[in-house]
Amino acid sequence: MALVESQREREEVSSEQLLQDSTKAATAKIAVFQYIVVAVFIFLLSGFWTLQVQNPDYYSEAAERNRIKSTPILAPRGKILDRDGRVIVDNKASYSLLLNRDQLKWEHLPAIADALHLDYNELAGKVRRMGSRPQIVIKDELTPDDMSWVQSHRDTATYPEMDIINSWRRLYPQDGYAAHVIGYVGEISDAELDLPQFIEYHPGDVIGKDGIEREYDSTLRGVDGERRVLVDSMGRERQVDKPKDAVAGKDLQLTLDLDLQSVAELAMEGKRGAVVALDPRNGQVLAMVSRPTFDPNKFTGRISTKDWKEIVDDPYKPLMNRATQAEFAPGSTFKPFVALAGLESGVIDDQTEFHCPGGASFYGHYFACWRKGGHGNISLHRAITQSCDVYFYNVGNRLGIDRLAHYTQLAGFGGKTGIDLPNERESTMPSTRWKLRTFRQKWYAGETISVAIGQGAVTVSPLELAAALGGLSIGGRWYRPHLLRDAKPVLTRDGHLNPQDVAEVVDGMYGVVNEGGTGHAAALPNIEVCGKTGTAQLVSTEKMKSMHLKNNAWFEAFAPKGAPEIAVVALFESGEEGANAAWIVRDVMKAYFDKKARLAKERTQLTREFHTLTLPWAMPMPAALALGSGLN
Amino acid sequence: MTEYSEQLLKKPLREGWLNRFQVLALLAITLVAIICQFYLPRLIPNTEFLEIPLLLTIYFGLMRQNQLSALFFGAFVGLAQDSLSHLPLGMYGIAKTLVGYFAASVSMRFDVDNVLVRFTLTFFFFFFHQFFYWMMRRALLGQVVPLDPQKILLQALLNAVVAVPLFMILDRMKLSGS
Amino acid sequence: MQEPRVVEAILSRYRNLIILAIVIVAQLLLLAWQVRTTQDVRLIRVWAVTTVTPLAGVTEAVRRNTIGFLEDYFILLDVREQNRKLREDNNRLKMENIYYRNQLTTAENARALSAFQLQTASKTVAARIIGNGTASSAQVVFIDRGSTSGVVKGMAVVTPDGIVGKVIAVYPLASQVLLVTDPTFSVGVESQKAHIHGTLSCNGSNCVVDYIQNEEKIDPGEWFYTSGEDRIFPRGFPVGTAASVKSGQFMKDIHLNLSGAPGAADEVLVVLHGVHQLIPDTPPEQRVAQSLPAPPPDAAPGPATPKMATQADKIKQKYIDIGKEENHVYGAIGGNMPNFNKPAAAAQSPAQAEMPPKPAAKPASPPVVRPSPPPTGILGARTPEPTKQPAAEKKPSHVDNGPVLPLGAPRKKAPPATPPQP
Repeated sequence: MALVESQREREEVSSEQLLQDSTKAATAKIAVFQYIVVAVFIFLLSGFWTLQVQNPDYYSEAAERNRIKSTPILAPRGKILDRDGRVIVDNKASYSLLLNRDQLKWEHLPAIADALHLDYNELAGKVRRMGSRPQIVIKDELTPDDMSWVQSHRDTATYPEMDIINSWRRLYPQDGYAAHVIGYVGEISDAELDLPQFIEYHPGDVIGKDGIEREYDSTLRGVDGERRVLVDSMGRERQVDKPKDAVAGKDLQLTLDLDLQSVAELAMEGKRGAVVALDPRNGQVLAMVSRPTFDPNKFTGRISTKDWKEIVDDPYKPLMNRATQAEFAPGSTFKPFVALAGLESGVIDDQTEFHCPGGASFYGHYFACWRKGGHGNISLHRAITQSCDVYFYNVGNRLGIDRLAHYTQLAGFGGKTGIDLPNERESTMPSTRWKLRTFRQKWYAGETISVAIGQGAVTVSPLELAAALGGLSIGGRWYRPHLLRDAKPVLTRDGHLNPQDVAEVVDGMYGVVNEGGTGHAAALPNIEVCGKTGTAQLVSTEKMKSMHLKNNAWFEAFAPKGAPEIAVVALFESGEEGANAAWIVRDVMKAYFDKKARLAKERTQLTREFHTLTLPWAMPMPAALALGSGLN
Repeated sequence: MTEYSEQLLKKPLREGWLNRFQVLALLAITLVAIICQFYLPRLIPNTEFLEIPLLLTIYFGLMRQNQLSALFFGAFVGLAQDSLSHLPLGMYGIAKTLVGYFAASVSMRFDVDNVLVRFTLTFFFFFFHQFFYWMMRRALLGQVVPLDPQKILLQALLNAVVAVPLFMILDRMKLSGS
Repeated sequence: MQEPRVVEAILSRYRNLIILAIVIVAQLLLLAWQVRTTQDVRLIRVWAVTTVTPLAGVTEAVRRNTIGFLEDYFILLDVREQNRKLREDNNRLKMENIYYRNQLTTAENARALSAFQLQTASKTVAARIIGNGTASSAQVVFIDRGSTSGVVKGMAVVTPDGIVGKVIAVYPLASQVLLVTDPTFSVGVESQKAHIHGTLSCNGSNCVVDYIQNEEKIDPGEWFYTSGEDRIFPRGFPVGTAASVKSGQFMKDIHLNLSGAPGAADEVLVVLHGVHQLIPDTPPEQRVAQSLPAPPPDAAPGPATPKMATQADKIKQKYIDIGKEENHVYGAIGGNMPNFNKPAAAAQSPAQAEMPPKPAAKPASPPVVRPSPPPTGILGARTPEPTKQPAAEKKPSHVDNGPVLPLGAPRKKAPPATPPQP
C-alpha cells in the first residue's frame, strides 16, 4: 500500500510540475493550441451537421428543408405522320403538376384536390399507389388559374410538395378520326405493369394503349430527361446540375393517306362498320376507318369516369376496331374466292354451267337463291356478275369443304393478316379438321353448301377480306398488310395460280361493276373498277338479336383492272344490301384516282414550268421539249 | 487570464466596470438596439446596413474583457435578433456569440479606448460577422445568398464610422451609471 | 487521485472555451432541430415580438404625433389632420372604386350592391407597418395587427394602390408579412383587357408575369389585377402595369411595374377572409362579388372556339368543304359522283385551269385556317372581344371559375397554419 501511495505521490508531483511547466510555456503556443482545438471542433461539428441534418439519404425530414430534387423532363412522343408526311398526331406543350413524395403531407391533399378541381378520392388513391416513386403527376394541362394557385402555394410554408413541369399532351385529330388505327395513350395500368413487356416501366408512365400508339410504343416514346437541383429551405433552387436532356420519341410515318382516310371517314359518318383500303402490290394500308368511333383526345389526360363509362357501356363498342376485329360472314364477297378455288382445282371451268331455278336441294335441304325467279342456265362470268347462289352451291358441293378451305386459306381466310396493329382477330375458315378440333364433331357435307356463298361458319374481318382480295387482284400473291411506311413489303403467300383462272374471276368482278351487275354504284369514269357486293346474314347470337336484325352490307373492289393499285373493302353493318356499301367504296376509290391525277398533273406542271422558266435560253427549244416529255 | 498579462499594448484592467451595469440596463440597451435594427430603416431610409446589435456586442466584448459574459451577451442579442427574422433561431445567435467571445479575447491585447483601435476592430468584426453569417446560411440552411464583398466592406466601413461615436456615447452612459 | 485534478485543471484553464463551445453547440442543436423538424421555436419568437413590436409601435406613434404635433401647431395648424382625413377618404374611395368598377362589368348591380353592403368595411382591417425583418435580405415587414385583431396566417395585405404581401406569422399584437417582392411569393394576376390569367413573381423590384401564352394579346402599359385564383388576394385588386411585353421562347415575357410600393407603404389593409363566413347561405352574392370577369365569356362567342387541330383535321375539313360545294354526301346511297379535283377548275380562270392541284387545296383551306381577320383581332382586344386564342383559353377557365370562387382561401390556409405551431 505504502508503495502504491508513494508512487502516486511521485506521479502527482510530476503532473504538478508538468502543469507548471506548461503554465510557464509561451502563451502564444497555448493560443495557437486553443485555435486548433476550435478549428478541429468546428470541423467535427460540420461533419456532424452534414451527416445528421443535411444528408437527405439519412433523414427524409432533412430533405424537406434542403434537398436534391429531381424533376423529370418529359420527352415528347414521336409524331405520327401520313404517307406524305402530313401530321396526324401532334404534341401540344402544357404544364403538369407533380407531387413530391418527400414533402407530401396527407393533410394537404383535400385542399389541393379542392383547389384544382380534382376528386379527392381519386387523388388519394393515386397517391397511395405511387409506392416508392419520388414524384407523381396529379394533373395535366394546368390552366393559367391552376398555375396561379400552384405558384402561390408551393412555398415551404404551404404546400411544398407541389412542383410544375413542362409536359406534352398528345393531340389527336378531332371526332375520332382514324382513332382505331392510331389508338391512344394512357397511364400504364396495374395489370399492364405485371406483363413482361412492360418490365422497365413504372406506375404513372404514359404508354400507348391501342393501335399504332401501342404497337410502336417503344419507337414513339422518348427517353425522359432529368433535372437535378438543390433546393434550399426557402424553396429556391440552386446549383442546377447540367440537366440530362430528354430524347424525343421518333416520328412515325404511316402508309395511311389522309386524303383517302378523310373521304373514308366522311363516307362512314353515321354508319356502323369499317372501311379498309390497301395497296395490293405491297400491303400498304391506305385508309382504315371503323365506326362508331371515340375521341382519343379524351384519353390523353385523365379520362373522367363518366366518359369512360359511356364508352365502355356503349352496346356498339366504339373502342373496337371493326376493321381488324369485327368477324362477320363475308356473304357474296366470298364468291370470287370460291370461283377461284373451283377453277384452280379443276372442278369447273369458265364454260361449266349450272341451272338455277331459284334454289336447289342438297343433302335433303333446300337452299334458295337470292333471286326467287332463278337465273336459268348460268356459267361463271354471269354467276359472279349476278351473284347467283345456286351456281356457287354447286361449286362448293363439287369442291368439298377441305379443298375449298385449302384454296381460301391460301387467300388468307382462317388466319390473321399479321398487320402491325394489336389485337387482330383471326378469321374462321371451316374445314373438317377445324370442326373436329373446335367442336369435336364430324363435318357434314351439307354444311359446305352455305359456306360456298360466304355464310355459315366462315367469318372474316374487313381487313382480312381486303388483303385476300388484294392478293387475288394481282394474280394470287398475298402481301402482309402493314401501316409503317418504311416497312419492307412481306410476301406471305404465293399461290402460283393459273393467270387464266384469275383473269376469269376478275372479269366477273369487272362485270359486277360495269356490266349492270350488283355493284354498278362503284363504277368510275375512265377507271376499270372490279368489285363484288355481299349481303350477309348475321351469325345471330342472342345478344345481337336484341339489337338489330338487318343484314350486313359488304362491298369489295379493286382497280384498275389491269394493274391493280388499290383494293377497298367496306363493311356497312345493317346496311341491308351489298350495293349500299358500294357507294362508300366508290368515294374512296374516286379520291384515290383523283389524287393520282392531281399529282400527275402537278408533276407535269412543275416540269413544264421548270423548262419554260429556266431552260429555253440554256438549250435549244426542241431539246427542252424532248427532255420534258422524257420526264413525263 | 493571467497569461495574457504580458501582452503588448497592455492597459489597466477594468474589473469594477462589470458590476456597474445592472442587468436591467443591459436589457434596456439590448432592446433599444434591436428596435433600432427593426424600426430605424422605416424612420430613415437606407439604414438597413446599420447593425446596432452587433456594435453593441462588440462594445461589450471589448469593454468587459470577460469572455464568458461577452459570449452570453452576444448569444442573447443574436437570439433576440433571430426572433424577429424569418430564419430559424440560432443563426445570429451563433455569429454574435463568437463575435462576443473573440472581442473579449482580443480586447486584452489592445487599448480599446483608442479610437483607431475601436474603428479597426469594429471594421474587422463586422466583416467577420457578416461573412460568418453568410457562411452559416450557406452551410447550415443551404441557402445561397449572393456575397458581395465590396458591399460588405463598405458596410463594415460605415458601421465602423458609426461605432466610434456610438461607443463614446456608451462610454458616457457607463460614467453616468457609476 | 490525480486524474480528476488534471481534468479539473484543464476545465478551469479552458473554462471559457468550453462554455463557448457549449453555447454554440446548444444553438446549433436548436438550429438543427428547427431545420429537421421544420418546427419553430414559437415561444421565443412570441416573447421577442411582443416585447419589441409594441415599443416600435409606440416609437412610431410618438414619431407621428410629435412631428404631427409640431406641424399641427407650429406650421400647418389643422391642415395635417385634414390631410390625413382626406387621405383616408381617398383610400376608402379608391377601394370602393375598385369594387364598383368590378361590379359594373357584371351587369348585376342590384345583387352586387347587396353583396357589397355585406362585405365592405368589415372585410379589411387597417394596419401600420412598424418594422422590417432583421435579416437583411428578407422581404419581410411587421405590422401592428395580430391575432387579437383577427389576423390569421395567409391573409392578404393590400393598399388601395396595389398589393403588399401575405401574412406568414401571427403574434398577439403583430404579424409578419412576406412582401410580394420576395422571390418565393407568387400572385395570380389577370390582364385588364382580355382577362388573361398569369402568375406574378418578383425578385426584388424585378417583377415578371409568367405562364401567358405567346399568342395572347397584352399591351405594354396594360393594367394587371389580382385574379383571385391564388386564393390569397381577392380578385380585382390592382397589381401594376406591364412595363415590357415580349414573345418568349415558351411563354410570353412580361415585365411588370408594381403599382404599390410593397415595403414602403405606411398604412396597409389586411383582408380578413373570415368575413365570408357571414354570408355562407348566399352563394350568388359571393359569386357576384368574386366573378368579376364574367364578361369575357359573353364577349368571347364571336370567334368560335378553335379546337386544337392537326393536319388530319384540316384535310378532313377540306373534303367536307368539297362535299358541300358539290352537294355530295359521302358514302350516301345513290350519291352523285364527286370530283375531288373540280374546285380547282371552278375557282381558276380557264387559262389557269391547267394547274388544278394546288388551288384545289387553297380555296378549300381558308375556312379551316379560321379566317379571324388579324386586324380586327388586334383592335378587338380593346373592345371586350378577345382574339381567338384568349377565347379558347378563356372558356374553360371560366367554366372552372364557378366552383372555385367561394373563396376557399381561409380553409386553404388553415391546415398549414395549425400544424407547424406546437
